[in-house]
Amino acid sequence: MRRLVPVLILLLAVPVAAEELRGRLQLVGKGGKGPARGSDVRQALVWYEPTAPAPARPPATPFVMTTRGKQFVPRTLTIPVGSRVRFPNEDVILHNVFSVSGENSFDLGLYRRGKGKEQKFDRPGLVRVFCNVHHSMVGYILVLQSPYVATPDAEGRFVLTGLPRGAGRLTVWHEQAEPAGMDVQVPRAEPLAPRLEIVRPRIPPHLNKTGKAYSTRDDYNQR
Amino acid sequence: MTYRWGCAVLVMLCLAAPLRAQEEAPEEEEPSLKPRLEFGFEAKAHYRDSDLNSFAVPFRFEPNMLPRGQSQGFEETVNAGSHLEISTFTLLVDATWGDGLAAHGKIDFIDLYDRNPTSSDGKTDVDEAWVRFGIEPAPATLAPRGGAYLKIGKMPKLERQDDRHLESYGLVSTAFNRFEDTGAELGLNLGRHVYVKATATQGNPVFLRDPNALAGDNGTPAMRQPFPDPELKSGIVILYDAEVEDLDVDGELELGGGVGVRFADEGGVNGVDFLAWGYRRNLAETVELEGTFYGGDLDLLNGPGNATPFPALRGDEKREAGANVWIYFGGLSFFGQFVDQEIAGLPRTGLEAEVAWRFELPLWLSIGDRQLFTFVAPAARYSELDNDFRNHLNTPAPSLAWDWKKLDAGLRVGIIPGADLTVEYADHEFILGNGAKRDNNELLTTFRWRV
Repeated sequence: MRRLVPVLILLLAVPVAAEELRGRLQLVGKGGKGPARGSDVRQALVWYEPTAPAPARPPATPFVMTTRGKQFVPRTLTIPVGSRVRFPNEDVILHNVFSVSGENSFDLGLYRRGKGKEQKFDRPGLVRVFCNVHHSMVGYILVLQSPYVATPDAEGRFVLTGLPRGAGRLTVWHEQAEPAGMDVQVPRAEPLAPRLEIVRPRIPPHLNKTGKAYSTRDDYNQR
Repeated sequence: MTYRWGCAVLVMLCLAAPLRAQEEAPEEEEPSLKPRLEFGFEAKAHYRDSDLNSFAVPFRFEPNMLPRGQSQGFEETVNAGSHLEISTFTLLVDATWGDGLAAHGKIDFIDLYDRNPTSSDGKTDVDEAWVRFGIEPAPATLAPRGGAYLKIGKMPKLERQDDRHLESYGLVSTAFNRFEDTGAELGLNLGRHVYVKATATQGNPVFLRDPNALAGDNGTPAMRQPFPDPELKSGIVILYDAEVEDLDVDGELELGGGVGVRFADEGGVNGVDFLAWGYRRNLAETVELEGTFYGGDLDLLNGPGNATPFPALRGDEKREAGANVWIYFGGLSFFGQFVDQEIAGLPRTGLEAEVAWRFELPLWLSIGDRQLFTFVAPAARYSELDNDFRNHLNTPAPSLAWDWKKLDAGLRVGIIPGADLTVEYADHEFILGNGAKRDNNELLTTFRWRV
């Protein structure tokens, strides 16, 4: 019985995780005029962070983001804080994987086909991942403290389930838009209707790992 | 000090730095006494097929100045027919000390297509050797911040197109800014978008050359032999700004400048740049050039023995004004240039535009961990040169006053990173003094390997 008391206290302290948030995300063109053409709403992410978040629990096995066909696959990955990500190279050419995103910066160097290298992400936030060889390779890792993440369907509809009751913040993210956040109270009866304005190209302007422009130009005489 | 010695000193200075520096990529570009070194090598091989054309010239050569049995001189295609050639081995060295200090050296060996101006010129040429203090943004890229730079040495002209998509040059490039000059260039970045440049240089001597790949032989020592019949002919020539060949600045400097505005994304991929520029100098009575006994500048314009000057030749002022535009949008690039020049009373204008589209290819094949067939880049260039002056009636080079048009079209294929193949055709038309149209076309295939 003595052993049961702390367990009961712990269970009572945690709000019941049974609520959900529904909504429909809309991507709109620059200036908010009409739907955004050519941008896929299924590549957006919606996540909810309770005001008192539970500690993140990174899995024992690493997440995987592969270089394949000169692309990062998947292009977007959400992981709990403290998780590791492995970057296998399935291409028959050399790739590099690096990021200059603040405290999550890293550089795995140049490596050939194989199981690749791992990187641990200890800080929450967005990590933009690039290849120093191929300018068009772009990937995103969202390092979150919350496990409540959803991906919209083709119509933009999303459902976040298992949420604790209480106040929190909902964030909507798409690689081509500025993220939008809103405070919400759970439970909530009416569906959410966030909008994101598409303002960035699919390959965002970025520099190589030394902070210089990629040499996409033909340097015939130039050095 | 000759360029050869200057470059040797530069290379030795670079080699004196610890070799470890070659492997290190500093995380931050902070000024440091330890340079970051990069060495490069480039080689070019060609298959060239040049049309055979010749045009009689009115100048009355002495009989022993012409090949045996020939009673008239001609302007002729330099080296007609099909040829396999290795044109250049180039060594490159770059040393950088953070963002604020950089040195660059470029030495060409063989230098077949950039001979200045004949085949009897030196086979080794220090193409570039300069030191730069401060940051000089590439065209159509933003300056990181406002500031200034000073570049000293032998360097490309400020308006030169540095990312051609074809191996050949347009008429404007050859006529005005293909070759390097020696002096100093001061640049001011007025914020990130507006910039000003000023130059004080030796000034490229006015000479003549064929605008196709291979320069002709004019005034070579072999021509002084009786009944000369050299393998390389004169070419069908235009006036051009030849390469500066020594460090002597004994005459007046050429003063130049430009003002430009640029807009670009932070990644330096998409951008627009507009530059207006100009130069002025006084021509020299003569300029000695290695490989020819003809003198450059006024000596050339007055003709052999000062006997055939251009009728409109007046004074010694050479001035030019021009405008450039660079546009980059994804894989699309456009370069345009207009030049208005007057050489001692001889006016002419030039217009050139190049458009290219570089398509990155998906990964199909590889060799040695590197992608095979990395990109294709079709490109087309139109250029024209309108010479608004007439020849002397007995000129030895009537083509100097013709109007020229050139259309170059080709395709560049990236074979592996660092190696590419360019196939191009030059449709070259000119209008003779009597109004008749002729051409002098050329097929050029170039394999380039760069490490």
